[in-house]
Amino acid sequence: MCFPLAAPNTFPGQHSHTHSAPPNGSHLRPVTGHWFRFSSGDLLSFLGFLEACKMGDKQENDTLVKVKPSSEQDISDELDQRIKKYLRGEGANLENLQDRKLKGQLAVREDLYGKSAKAAAKAEKWLMPSEAGYLEADGIEKTWRIKQTDLVRAVDISSSRNQYDIVLPELGPYILDFTLSGRYMVIGGRKGHLGIVDMMKLSLIKEFQVRETVRDVVFLHNELFFAAAQKKYPYIYNRDGTELHCLKEHGAVLRLQFLKNHFLLASINKFGQLHYQDVTTGVMAGNFRTGMGRTNVMQVNPFNGVVALGHSSGTVTMWKPTSSAPLIKMLCHHGPVSALAFHSNGHLMATAGKDKKIKLWDLRKFEVLQTVPGHANTLDFSQKGLLACGTGSFIQVLNDSSGTLNYSRYMNHSMAKGYQVGKLLFRPYEDVLGIGHSMGWSSILIPGSGEPNFDSWVANPFETSKQRREKEVHSLLDKLPPETIMLDPSKIGTLKPTKNEQRSKQEREAEMEEAIEAAKGIKLKKKTKGRNKASKRMQKKQEMIEKVRRPYLEQKTKEEEQFSRKKQKVSEEIELPKSLQRFASKKGAS
Amino acid sequence: MVETKRKVRDDGNQGRKRPKKKVKKQKSSYSKIKARKKSGPRLPSSLQKELERLSPSTTLDSDEDVDSDREIFGKDLYEYEEQQAEEESKKNRRYDPVQVHKSQYEMPDELSEEIKDENLESDDEDEDNDDNYNWGKRNEEASSDDYVEEDDEKHARMLKGIIGMPSDAFEERKKKRGHAVIQELYPESEYNPSRDIVDGDGRISIEDLLNPLREKSGYSELRRRLQQIEKKYGTIHAPLPKADQARLERKAASEWSNKDITKWEPIIKRNRETPSVNFDQKVDLEFTTVGAIASEFEPRTEFERKIAALIHDDKLMEAHKKDGSRLLELNEVSVEDEKDRQNRIAKMRSLLFRHEMKAKHVKKIKSKTYHRLLKKDKLKAASLQMEMDPEAAKEFAMKQERRRAEERMTLRHTNQNRWARRILERGLNTQDDGTRAAIAEQLQRHAALTRKINSMKDSSSSSDDTSDEDDADGSDDDRALLEKAKIKTLEVLEEEDAVPKSGLLSLPFMRRGLEKRKEAAAEEAKLALEEYDSTLKKLENAGGSEDPEVATISGRRVFGTAKAQILDASNKVKSDKFYGSTDSEDDLEAREHGDMVSNRSNDPQKDVNSDSVVILEDTDTHQESIFKNFNDIIRDAGAKTTYEVAIFASNTWKKAKNKNEEDTKVNKSPKLIEPAKQDIKDIEMGFGEDNDTDSEGHMVDGVLSSGPKLSYELPSQDELVRQAFAGDDVEDEFEKNKQEILNEENPEPEKPLLLPGWGQWTHIQQKKGAPSWMLKEHESAERKREEALKKRKDAHLRHVIISEKLDKKAEKLHAKALPYPFTSKEVFEQSIRVPIGPESNPATAIGALNRPEVVKRPGVIINPIAFEEVNPHERTEERSGGKHKLKKHKGNVGKTKIMQSTKA
Repeated sequence: MCFPLAAPNTFPGQHSHTHSAPPNGSHLRPVTGHWFRFSSGDLLSFLGFLEACKMGDKQENDTLVKVKPSSEQDISDELDQRIKKYLRGEGANLENLQDRKLKGQLAVREDLYGKSAKAAAKAEKWLMPSEAGYLEADGIEKTWRIKQTDLVRAVDISSSRNQYDIVLPELGPYILDFTLSGRYMVIGGRKGHLGIVDMMKLSLIKEFQVRETVRDVVFLHNELFFAAAQKKYPYIYNRDGTELHCLKEHGAVLRLQFLKNHFLLASINKFGQLHYQDVTTGVMAGNFRTGMGRTNVMQVNPFNGVVALGHSSGTVTMWKPTSSAPLIKMLCHHGPVSALAFHSNGHLMATAGKDKKIKLWDLRKFEVLQTVPGHANTLDFSQKGLLACGTGSFIQVLNDSSGTLNYSRYMNHSMAKGYQVGKLLFRPYEDVLGIGHSMGWSSILIPGSGEPNFDSWVANPFETSKQRREKEVHSLLDKLPPETIMLDPSKIGTLKPTKNEQRSKQEREAEMEEAIEAAKGIKLKKKTKGRNKASKRMQKKQEMIEKVRRPYLEQKTKEEEQFSRKKQKVSEEIELPKSLQRFASKKGAS
Repeated sequence: MVETKRKVRDDGNQGRKRPKKKVKKQKSSYSKIKARKKSGPRLPSSLQKELERLSPSTTLDSDEDVDSDREIFGKDLYEYEEQQAEEESKKNRRYDPVQVHKSQYEMPDELSEEIKDENLESDDEDEDNDDNYNWGKRNEEASSDDYVEEDDEKHARMLKGIIGMPSDAFEERKKKRGHAVIQELYPESEYNPSRDIVDGDGRISIEDLLNPLREKSGYSELRRRLQQIEKKYGTIHAPLPKADQARLERKAASEWSNKDITKWEPIIKRNRETPSVNFDQKVDLEFTTVGAIASEFEPRTEFERKIAALIHDDKLMEAHKKDGSRLLELNEVSVEDEKDRQNRIAKMRSLLFRHEMKAKHVKKIKSKTYHRLLKKDKLKAASLQMEMDPEAAKEFAMKQERRRAEERMTLRHTNQNRWARRILERGLNTQDDGTRAAIAEQLQRHAALTRKINSMKDSSSSSDDTSDEDDADGSDDDRALLEKAKIKTLEVLEEEDAVPKSGLLSLPFMRRGLEKRKEAAAEEAKLALEEYDSTLKKLENAGGSEDPEVATISGRRVFGTAKAQILDASNKVKSDKFYGSTDSEDDLEAREHGDMVSNRSNDPQKDVNSDSVVILEDTDTHQESIFKNFNDIIRDAGAKTTYEVAIFASNTWKKAKNKNEEDTKVNKSPKLIEPAKQDIKDIEMGFGEDNDTDSEGHMVDGVLSSGPKLSYELPSQDELVRQAFAGDDVEDEFEKNKQEILNEENPEPEKPLLLPGWGQWTHIQQKKGAPSWMLKEHESAERKREEALKKRKDAHLRHVIISEKLDKKAEKLHAKALPYPFTSKEVFEQSIRVPIGPESNPATAIGALNRPEVVKRPGVIINPIAFEEVNPHERTEERSGGKHKLKKHKGNVGKTKIMQSTKA
């Protein structure tokens, strides 16, 4: 049993329905000039390139790097890497296996896995042709000196449409959330302004006023429903702004998160209570008191569905709906934790604290990978792993250019003076960063942030209503129960973890008693031909009890034996010569 | 006694009988004698035989002889037993080595014997001639000397006859033997071989047979061959007993079949090792088409044959061919014709399609008015057609008649039934609305029907329209009436414009008077028109469905400056609506106004939004009562929100900014006064986390928070201090916390405690302290705990606590025990690491990954395995990809071979 929890784990071209980003998407792949590297092209982008060339004051043809990989060796290496990814680790060492039949079976299995991985790798190579573009500095230039205004000149028209500021000063700081496909955005103004925007058409679908404080908004499984954390309770609205549910049990919620694979709405309220509610059945899946005080830092790990909370004591706790105690509790900062974000691969976490540090954590080892100085009110990882941090009116984007998890400055952006950035969110499948701030919301271009290829079976920005309905049903059928949330979901299906310490004597005895009682309770069949006599029945019963008791007794004797052997060893060691033995006791006594 | 006697007699006979005894081995006689005597221990015949051979001249033998002599006299009594003895002898024959050896000579022996018998019979004393089993007896009779002599002679003769040598040769040999003249006691026979045969002397060897041929040509060659044969084949041994033989045979067969079976091993191995066996291959349905079946047809009956002959008649075929070609010629169609036809068909098809699409489209339209119109159109068209075509009219009339009849049958239009009568008795006024409506409907129906009848009688189609109108509900009637009135008045108004230009009326004073009157009339008409309008509106409001006002309101929702004018326009109507209707939009509207008021009342310092003030004035005049209703809303914190979301209108935007600036100026003071109340984060984050608080003072803050800049930048000093020292002893706290959790998950063992006074009788015991076992237990428990702590995942991570609690609910997602063939956890877990579902594998791999062990469609017959050559060194995977499988043909070579082997 394994679940496609995270993007890297799902096979991208499973139904050969992968699409490259359409020309009207705002991927900044082909932009070149003296900053950008030409990576691949279609017509529109090529036009953009020409434009850039015209505008650029110096043209260097040398910067045009060949797209083609140099040799077959490269291709095979690339393929090997991909295959390795799809093989998910090494197979068992079959040499040591005794069972020849099993060995054979496993060998066949491994072979099949290999073939599948190879096919998947090939599909990935050929069905996902678009590569993410990125900014590349030339000489002394630094990527973070490039401003949005410069970018606009270099990109195609459709991409440039994604740069805008919507100024709405009245209804307070805005928060936003995107659907999985990045097509729709829900906005929530603190003073009760809610709205849904179609990002592709840049049109407002619905906006309405709830006349209450709105603290957070989050889309449910598709754009039809969203939840808003309002003054007293969170509410669920549909696309038309109709209030569908009022979730009173959650209380005054500060942050909301939706677990899309589990259909759980997670919330943290004013009193530091964490609630999980199944939005399909309405059942409360979990309700825990964190006991760490009020917090509004909450983020779901997209890989495994674990909810992380950042607390004022500098700790980060991770929760799942089936345990009342946190799975992980780690001290991340000396000051309060101000923001949290998870990389989509699930093992990279970024935290920001009031101690003026932004830390990157490896969640497999629970160790700090990197510490970056700086404040951040909000953090977000993009699909391609860029990290955006926002504080005040300043936004910084870090990237991992070398691939060694060493994040460095990539882009900067300053909002107009006085704008307070409240929420940063990368738009999926686009090179766009959405910013919710105190004066409305904005959108800027961050080249190379979004995944250029989308899989229409996972998230389709061009979804028709029919497809959406179909997908809704499918996702409901594939809904995971809340207990599947665990730190390492790949452990599902493996052997049950046991406590390494042995059960105590009493426990074992109790178990035996129970088993014996159970055996006594078994009703005997009615036999014929003299075998149904009372004595026979009695005998049979006795036998059954004995049978039940035997393994326990055997174990006991075995242990005793072991114990005695140990004891013997010890006593042998200490044992004195016979002549001296009679003095031993005296010695001990005195 | 008897024995001694016999001995004596034996002595007497010895000289004569011994030699004969030596020669003879007559078992039958022994047994016979024994049986007769019934004295002494009886030995089994075989033993006796053996004994006899070892010591031919025993006393017993001589005894026997005597006995036998004696018995000659009284033999008749035991004849039957004699026979038995003979049988025994016959049985023994089987084991007679001579017989086996020289089976080729049997026939001549027997022949000679028969001859002998014949000869003998004449000499015999007339006894049991017909008895076949009396050879033994005869032998006894022939024990006389001359008979022996005669026998010898016969033997010689026989040999001579066989070999073709003179009897002298044998005579010579006899003489060589010297004095011992052997006399046979019994005649030589199959059962009684001559002595020389037994001893080896006088045996006929091949050499004997060959010797006479010595001179002849080809002898040497023959000899050589014989020698070869002799060298090669020694003596042939006696056949083994049957059981042994069978066992050997079985052994050989099993060896052979074992060897034969090994050829199946590769096939079996292959089938065992394949991940899945496929039985679906080669499902041959034999016939695929009707043609194929027909081609197999063979005429069987007479009739069929006749028909077949006719069909396949050459002449006919030829004729048909010719005819066919001619027909084809005749059939020729020009290209244009064909094109035309195709075009026609295409046109028809497209027309049909369009029609269909249109019908679909029309069917989808939900508008009732549209359908009503459509219906009317149709009716009109029908009436037109009726006018044009009398037959159609007739038909229509018939239809109508029928419908009416049906309606009459239901009697829903009359008020003659009991229910209606009762209601009428009671009086309509006392009834509730429902029944009144029902009665009204009935009446209406009745009226319509009767009118229909009348119309039919009049055969005028003009009244149909009115009846249709009447079908609509009552309110519609009123409306229509009003409309008519309106039109009439308008007409009147227009008509009056026409002024006569000549005559009396053209006189100036008359004209003035007329004009005056006209004006008055016009005014009246206008009034009337207004009245009509208002009533019409009322009617529409009551209907509620098509409310133009609501539409305007929803349109006006768009904020800001547009508000005022729209409000002005719609105020009048709204005034009467706010009380009556419960439309939510209206409600919102009201609330909006409420907000405006609240704005003004709450923030007196900002005299902004002149337009809103205008609105307020408007609304105040009209709707004060409503505001009372919304008072609580005004008090609500949310009410401070204004409705101007669209700041795109630059006007407002600027204003808002100004306002904000003003606000900040004004509000600095309260902020400084009460910073302690506020949450730190509010200011820091700029999101004003806390401004949902309910107090009035905070509301002001909330307003502030919407304003930009200054409010966030400088948190007060003590807040800064608090923030700075917030995480001071965070680490210590965490450490403590961790320790607690560790203690909880791995509890510390209890310290060994004695109950006070327990076991402390003497001071010695007191000194001892707790008993050693207790200490030991405690120690071991502590050690265990330490080990457990060391084993924890977070043992080396100071800043992390990893919960070790087992999730009971998640237990069902794990395997309880290792599944059967696996023995190690690692191998098992590695074997399931790759998901095999369609979400995570390419389509090409899913099939192979999820194929069941046996692939078989229901209904497929699985034939027994057939032999096929398999390369044993071929790897299974290679084949599993391709199509390998059990063949279906029934040539069961392997099986037949096995069967053969077992037979052999």
